[in-house]
Amino acid sequence: MLTVLVTGLAMGALYAAAALAYNVMYSTSKVLSVTTGHIFMLSGVAAAFLIGELKMHWSIGLLGALAVSLVFGLLTEIVAIRRVLARSDEHLWLLSTLALATIVQQAVGLWWGTEPKPFPRLIAQDFTAGPWDQKYWLPIAAVVLITVALELFYRRTLFGKIFIAVSEDPFAARARGIATDRVRAASYAIAGLIGGVAGFAAAQLTYAYFALGLSLTLNGFIALAVGGLGSNSGALVGGVLLGLLTSVATYYFGGAYQQTIAVGLLMAFLLLKPEGLFGNKKARLV
Amino acid sequence: MNATTHSLPATQVPAAGGDSPRPHPGRRLALAAVGLVALATLPFWAGDDYHLHLAALIATFWILVAGLNLVVGYTGLLSLGHVALLAIGAYAFAILAGTHGWPPFVALAAAGVIGAGCGFVLGLPSLRLPGFYFAMATLAFSMIVGEFLLAQDTLTGGGAGLPVPAFGAPFDSLRGFYWLVTGLAVAVTWLTWNVTRLMWGKAMVALRDSEVAAASTGVPAFGIKLTVYTFSGATAAIGGALFGSLQSYITPDTFHFELGMFFFICIVIGGRGAILGPLVGTIVLTALPEVVAPLAKLGQFFYGALLLAVVLLIPEGMGSLIGVLREKLHPSRNVKQVVAPDLARLAAALRQEPQA
Repeated sequence: MLTVLVTGLAMGALYAAAALAYNVMYSTSKVLSVTTGHIFMLSGVAAAFLIGELKMHWSIGLLGALAVSLVFGLLTEIVAIRRVLARSDEHLWLLSTLALATIVQQAVGLWWGTEPKPFPRLIAQDFTAGPWDQKYWLPIAAVVLITVALELFYRRTLFGKIFIAVSEDPFAARARGIATDRVRAASYAIAGLIGGVAGFAAAQLTYAYFALGLSLTLNGFIALAVGGLGSNSGALVGGVLLGLLTSVATYYFGGAYQQTIAVGLLMAFLLLKPEGLFGNKKARLV
Repeated sequence: MNATTHSLPATQVPAAGGDSPRPHPGRRLALAAVGLVALATLPFWAGDDYHLHLAALIATFWILVAGLNLVVGYTGLLSLGHVALLAIGAYAFAILAGTHGWPPFVALAAAGVIGAGCGFVLGLPSLRLPGFYFAMATLAFSMIVGEFLLAQDTLTGGGAGLPVPAFGAPFDSLRGFYWLVTGLAVAVTWLTWNVTRLMWGKAMVALRDSEVAAASTGVPAFGIKLTVYTFSGATAAIGGALFGSLQSYITPDTFHFELGMFFFICIVIGGRGAILGPLVGTIVLTALPEVVAPLAKLGQFFYGALLLAVVLLIPEGMGSLIGVLREKLHPSRNVKQVVAPDLARLAAALRQEPQA
């Protein structure tokens, strides 16, 4: 039972990280990118390639994974978001990010293969560890690290304050001389970093798998919708809640309906409390 | 079911608009007739069975895409769940006609009804959600259906899949089957075309362009969305049943998420808010990887790249490109009305002014 809870917490941490990445991108661009999960997938695959295939030290693997996911985050903004937002057609960003996500997923599938490959261990194997195994606490630690770093960044640095200004009111921020386009690009790079750290830390749990992106995109979004769009604490709570729920449900009912349970949670929240646990109700401007 | 008898009177502007210029009604009638004759006689001049199989595949895909086009192209709802509705139709047909031995046409109709029911049940909660939320809900639905197909192995055969029976006597040959699916495809096209050029179509386009504005002018937003979605569920399931019968064996892997992407691209590439564009898109995109072998190897990567290119470069679809080209080749003459000042009258008016 302890293993079930710890697995749930670890998966929940991963979902929470995805929800945080959504939040960072959403705050500056008001876009929910379908490529969010693929950032995590790319990080895991890149690290598995560097450490597992090329036999490099794990620190180089981490750096490589971070670089790849950061570049991909930036690429998302440059390729799929910038032009579409400039044209300001409402739904097109969904199609462009979906297209980019498919391209990346299939490219990884073609290059890396479509089978899940195990991720190399970072610390020497300890079979007695049980639920205290590194594959469980690493993602949890990574998410704690990401959350603290994000909070410090937003509250303590000038650049973080600029981010908040842009997310509150992009026009006013622009009027005060902030290059909102550059801030938006930077937010996608930060989302890439989040995905890089969390994807690397969780890769022992998820394996390096090309189709991980799509399910993480969906589950991260469920965590976000449960917690409340735009709220970082909501993202954490929603992610952990979702992870625990699916893990416990898998324990009792078997793994066949994992996604169904997650989606049931999403639907229940969207129908009963559409703004999420920590989101604030906003009157829509007409 | 003859599309030619329902052409428009000359004065009426078709709602299926877009701004691409339309041919003269008489010419359109002739074009439609030629197209129908070509379709009907295809088995006699098609090269071999493989080409005929391809044509039948295009027709089955088109039955789904035509319904999805109403959802995506006209109403502007981004549904990622139609591949699941396709799977539901195929499995419903396989189970009813195969396992339970129902007559194929009854099973086909039942599959359509089940698909419509699934569309209705899926649409009821999720159509209330705005853009991205709706897309994610439908994406989740397609994943749930995938899980269900794998988990319920007594019903669906699990990962091993199910054989799908063929249709009865006149339709058991490839040629007969081709006529069946093409007839259905023409019927669906006629149905959707009728819908789009009447008030319904205008209401859908109004919803797509601004839901708030449409609702404030009395368009019953939710009702229209739900009806359109239910209809597309029926066409998707019928397409799925025919697709399954054409493939003769289905597994959950047949209905991967990227197949849903493919339907999307067919619509986006052709142009939103038209019927001919997505039709051409479906034909070209289904046939292209079969004809050009390297593209088949790249598979979904190619479709993703194509979607990205279309969204970024010509978001209005190929249809708009034709319009632009036509404008380049035959610039529509600006009717100039020369306004020449009538100086004599002006002078007269000025002269009269002081006396008045």
